[in-house]
Amino acid sequence: MAKSKPANKYAAAKRPTLSDERKFGRLGYFVGRAVTNIRQNVLINVLTVVTITFAILLVSLFLLVYVNLQGAVDTFSEKVQVTAYFDNELTPAEFAALKDRIVGLSGVDRVSYVSKDDAMRRFRDRLEGQESILEGVPSEVLPSSIEITLKRSQRSSAAVEAFVKRLKTVSGIGEVQYGEEWLRRFSTFMDFMRITGIVLGGFILLAVVFIVSNTIKLTIFARKDELEVLSLVGATRLFIKIPFMIEGVLQGATGSALALAILGGCYLVFLRNAGNFLSLNPVTAGITFLPVEYLGGLFCGGVLLGFFGSLVSLKRFVSTDS
Amino acid sequence: MIQLHNVFLTYHKEQTALDGVNLRIPKGDFVFLTGPSGAGKSTLLKLFYAALRPTRGQVVIDGKNVNRLPEGQIPYLRRMVGVVFQDFKLLPNRTVQENVAITLEVLGWGQKDIGKRVYHTLKQMGLEHKMNSTPLRLSGGEQQRVALARALVNEPRILLADEPTGNLDDANKEQILNLLKEANIRGTTVVVATHDRRLIDTSHRRVIVLDKGQIVEDSHGQE
Ligand SMILES: Nc1ncnc2c1ncn2[C@@H]1O[C@H](COP(=O)(O)OP(=O)(O)O)[C@@H](O)[C@H]1O
Ligand SMILES: [Mg+2]
Repeated sequence: MAKSKPANKYAAAKRPTLSDERKFGRLGYFVGRAVTNIRQNVLINVLTVVTITFAILLVSLFLLVYVNLQGAVDTFSEKVQVTAYFDNELTPAEFAALKDRIVGLSGVDRVSYVSKDDAMRRFRDRLEGQESILEGVPSEVLPSSIEITLKRSQRSSAAVEAFVKRLKTVSGIGEVQYGEEWLRRFSTFMDFMRITGIVLGGFILLAVVFIVSNTIKLTIFARKDELEVLSLVGATRLFIKIPFMIEGVLQGATGSALALAILGGCYLVFLRNAGNFLSLNPVTAGITFLPVEYLGGLFCGGVLLGFFGSLVSLKRFVSTDS
Repeated sequence: MIQLHNVFLTYHKEQTALDGVNLRIPKGDFVFLTGPSGAGKSTLLKLFYAALRPTRGQVVIDGKNVNRLPEGQIPYLRRMVGVVFQDFKLLPNRTVQENVAITLEVLGWGQKDIGKRVYHTLKQMGLEHKMNSTPLRLSGGEQQRVALARALVNEPRILLADEPTGNLDDANKEQILNLLKEANIRGTTVVVATHDRRLIDTSHRRVIVLDKGQIVEDSHGQE
């Protein structure tokens, strides 16, 4: 309809009718509209972007701490070990066969053999300075054993107990030790960390969604006149919503990019100065930045936050009745 | 064409604003809607652009029954009905040009065509030199004409104006009235709600008088 040039001063535009439905295949128009909206409402947009930045920063800081704590716990869990003794002394061939069967059990990461000599050496090391007590004691006194390290996912109290049950069915295995008491405490600590992480993370996430959606609601409320006018001149709901949704996506992308940049900057500053005030070397302490998947997830989270924040807020203001 | 059959409208606070209205406004008519404040003039206009639906009775606009019109069809009805609101509803952070262009953007016009058409309409309103001003920097009469331009820019079938001469001086009133008449000459049905007696008396058009939500007088005062 737009193409017919008015022939004279009073030439009528083609009159819209009820069935005159035009499809808006013009993403360009909507993006342009969104950008113009941002320019005409700078303050409101800055407010929303700052809120999203703050929100994503909060979540990513939490994740950063959590990931590093988890890493520390994983390293610590190397101490979870199962020691098995044999019914009889084994020949090397017998040991090899037994080792194969143990490695074949599910959950096993590594297996190592501790000979009578190894056992005596360790014992002596532990006695530190009082080795003389052992003088003349033959190394055969201590039994040889096998030390089994379990896979990371199998280091909980329950998993270890289940493994020990399976291990005991292997013929030739006698007594099995695995530091039950210590393991139980360690498992409790891990559960505590996991639950705390989920609760705290969930709480932060809820707070963030609440704050961001309310900010967006406020900013859209501030523009309810615009929404009203659009509706009154005959804009469809979709036509009204699309630019706001694009705006939400742009705000979300800007906010989360800013948040991740700030997080990265803080991390670098921390790395450079940690040695000075913590007397610790962050690299050897195993302090890491967030993995790429997390960063991608956080960015997408920000974008979705902007998008759905706008979508949900619009619902309240875009209705055909005025 | 606008047709109302036995229309009642009650606001949520049991406020009866329209009390059994029967009305027929043919295509191309020019009608004044008058009556004391609170008589139901604005309410009646709101029915015509489906901002309200009747509590009881039928409202038919251009052959479409508003009662049964699905929510999704209301925008298409509004594209046929230009409205000049009593409070103008101009967007303060957009220029005059942008305010008028909204009507055409909604229709999906291209930017070039919008530019030409908006200029053409603003020129009719004598506002082409104010295109890039923002509404708040205009006089009352100028703002009224911007609102009129936005309502007329797509040459709607029906034009509704709520107290369009509200606070204007005589010269401005005259100008607005002439613009409304021009739109009517071009084929648009015009309905003007006003309590301005003088405006009505000098115009020699059909006058519908409302009082307490009822039509108490309907003069087919032809020229
Ligand atoms: N949104 C509303 N809610 C409740 N009552 C309303 C509303 N709008 C108008 N009314 C009432 O409806 C009646 C008609 O109002 P209105 O149509 O604005 O009259 P007019 O335009 O003739 O002055 C009045 O009594 C008014 O108080
Ligand atoms: Mg009124």
